[in-house]
Amino acid sequence: MTVTEVSVGWVPVAAALLLLVAAAAASLDGALAARSAGQPLGGGLLAPVAETARLFGQRRRTTVAADLPLQRIGGAGLLTAALLMIAVVPFGRWTVADLTVGVVWFNAMDVLVWAAVWLAGWGPNSAHALVGGYRCLAQALSYELPLMFALTAPAVAAGSLRLGDVVAAQSGLWFVVWMPVAFAVFCVAVAGFSVWGPLSAPTGATTAGGVLVEASGVDRWLLSTGRYALLTAGAAFGATAFLGGGHGPLLPAWLWLLVKTAGLLAALVALRRVLPVIRPEQFAAPAWLVALPLVLLQVLVVSVVVVVQA
Amino acid sequence: MDLTRLAARRTAVLAVEVPGWSRTRCALEQDVRARGWRLAGSPADADLLVVCGRPGARLTAAVDHVWSQLPGPRARAEVTTADDVPAVLDGAAAELADGAAQRRDAAGRPADPEPGTTAAGDDGMGDMDMDGDSGHSGDMDMDDDPGDADGDHASGDGDMDMDDDSGEGGGDDSGDGDMDMDMDMPMPAGIGLAGAGGDDQLPDPDGLDMDVLHVPLGPVLPHWPAGLLLHTTLQGDLVVAARAEVLLPADDAPPDPPVHGTPAGRWDAVATLLVLAGWDDAAVRAARVRDGLLAGGQPPEAERLTRRITRSRLLRWSLRGLGRLPEGDAHDRLRHWLTGTGQRRSTELSAVAELVTGLDLATARLVVASLDLDTADRVTVPVGAGS
Repeated sequence: MTVTEVSVGWVPVAAALLLLVAAAAASLDGALAARSAGQPLGGGLLAPVAETARLFGQRRRTTVAADLPLQRIGGAGLLTAALLMIAVVPFGRWTVADLTVGVVWFNAMDVLVWAAVWLAGWGPNSAHALVGGYRCLAQALSYELPLMFALTAPAVAAGSLRLGDVVAAQSGLWFVVWMPVAFAVFCVAVAGFSVWGPLSAPTGATTAGGVLVEASGVDRWLLSTGRYALLTAGAAFGATAFLGGGHGPLLPAWLWLLVKTAGLLAALVALRRVLPVIRPEQFAAPAWLVALPLVLLQVLVVSVVVVVQA
Repeated sequence: MDLTRLAARRTAVLAVEVPGWSRTRCALEQDVRARGWRLAGSPADADLLVVCGRPGARLTAAVDHVWSQLPGPRARAEVTTADDVPAVLDGAAAELADGAAQRRDAAGRPADPEPGTTAAGDDGMGDMDMDGDSGHSGDMDMDDDPGDADGDHASGDGDMDMDDDSGEGGGDDSGDGDMDMDMDMPMPAGIGLAGAGGDDQLPDPDGLDMDVLHVPLGPVLPHWPAGLLLHTTLQGDLVVAARAEVLLPADDAPPDPPVHGTPAGRWDAVATLLVLAGWDDAAVRAARVRDGLLAGGQPPEAERLTRRITRSRLLRWSLRGLGRLPEGDAHDRLRHWLTGTGQRRSTELSAVAELVTGLDLATARLVVASLDLDTADRVTVPVGAGS
């Protein structure tokens, strides 16, 4: 299966698709929330639409001595990073940007999220938002290095940083089968850069909403949508790099990618129901002392297998 | 369906509990849930501001301040008994949906954020607060201290306010000097740049001089003891000093029958702690158990939920060792609430301040929630108790 680069005209379609899947994820979260609240699921499924209507009708709010340019850059940063992430993910046989360094590109975009969340916390000149920003950086220090090595594993196995090659290398066996540690670390890191579930401390209730505390109207919409978009982009990348991408019987490649992305995304959304938030200061020890050595071991195993096969 | 009706399905309610009205607040939370609405985490997130109970003067001033922070469309209501909750919420929802009234409200508001009320303190220097951040300058008003009503300042200007040094650890004099220096520099919105805090500054283990901020927590803060105002001094996100007091309800107000000390009260504490621990799913289920108990039932899911919560390793790991008291830590207290064992002991306000000192802001919130303070019990405590 070869991947071809489509014309720039398809970029809005890719963006719309990302937003659509992100909205589906928000619907799922709304439905799960409604179920635990003992409410009809219908209202929960409509949650992203209703929330969008609410936030678009709400006044934008500024704070005293806010750093508005930086705050706005941070607010738009999450959605931007997610859009740039999926640019390199092949949708079946098509891709928006067939970069030779696709894996590194994805990694660079997730580091961009550090800056975006931090700026969203810094901008409003508010103590709680600022602390939310601190907490983002603290936990990013824990998940980022394991994530980088987890991304190395599929690249080493495929012998290429191009995502098309990574998919092609999985025609026989999905990478998740022999890189389970890298996949697990990757999933945790997706929750991390999406500020989601157990790694949502930067927006947690302990800081009254953290980086979200002063955001209203369209600013809040951008941040919330950005989180879901990042979660979606992370799931799409995970499906590509670990779950065989478009490979699968009967169905066309693009549909397989969509199914796998949806499955991984649903699991990530459900994570929030199952687990409480991890305090960032506690997260550092297991991340550096357990996850990092394990994922390095994983890369070693993958490298040995590649060398032996060659 | 038009957009206003669609938006109303996700109405976010900022609930303000006055000490003594926890039953009304529980009824409000239940009704909000039944409507498919949700509780707001901050004023910026809220469409409705609902005060449960009759606040005293200082608490009223704080609520007014928070009200000015709601982005709008917005509506405000006060409810004093659990039975009135549905009618009050219906009224507030109607006000929210009234486009003409909302446009009038919006037209009458200043375009720029209002400076905090403490800025008009009796020395007139509140605005020049060199800490330059947050609460007192009006951008985080849910934390703001309305204290100027009775001459007790927000801790926000503690280090420049020469006639109020209570509990601030004597950092005042140097603050004065810093202010004079700052006045020669350009100050965004009249707020001095954050900087070294003079005598407030504690030596940092990493040799970094962190900004010293005076951030009042409460009295209007979700998942926070009713009326509690915790003046904190933050260095980075670390609480280096704290002083607690309780803002009182109106004098003549007959409060609700107490919830604290009942099984429902224990589940209320469980729900609050779980929200702060970031486990929304278990928290909302705990709140449903609480509401079932308040309605006089015996919720069957209580046992399953208890097992689920006590078995969570991640929760145990994150609460273990927090807020250690002679009889146990936060997780022990959570287990006692769930199983109904262990005596209720009241925690002194001064002990609260002591327990949170040295913790980071988020951990401090968990510790305070784990104490299950009954601020209604304390309405006779003079303002400024604790040190």
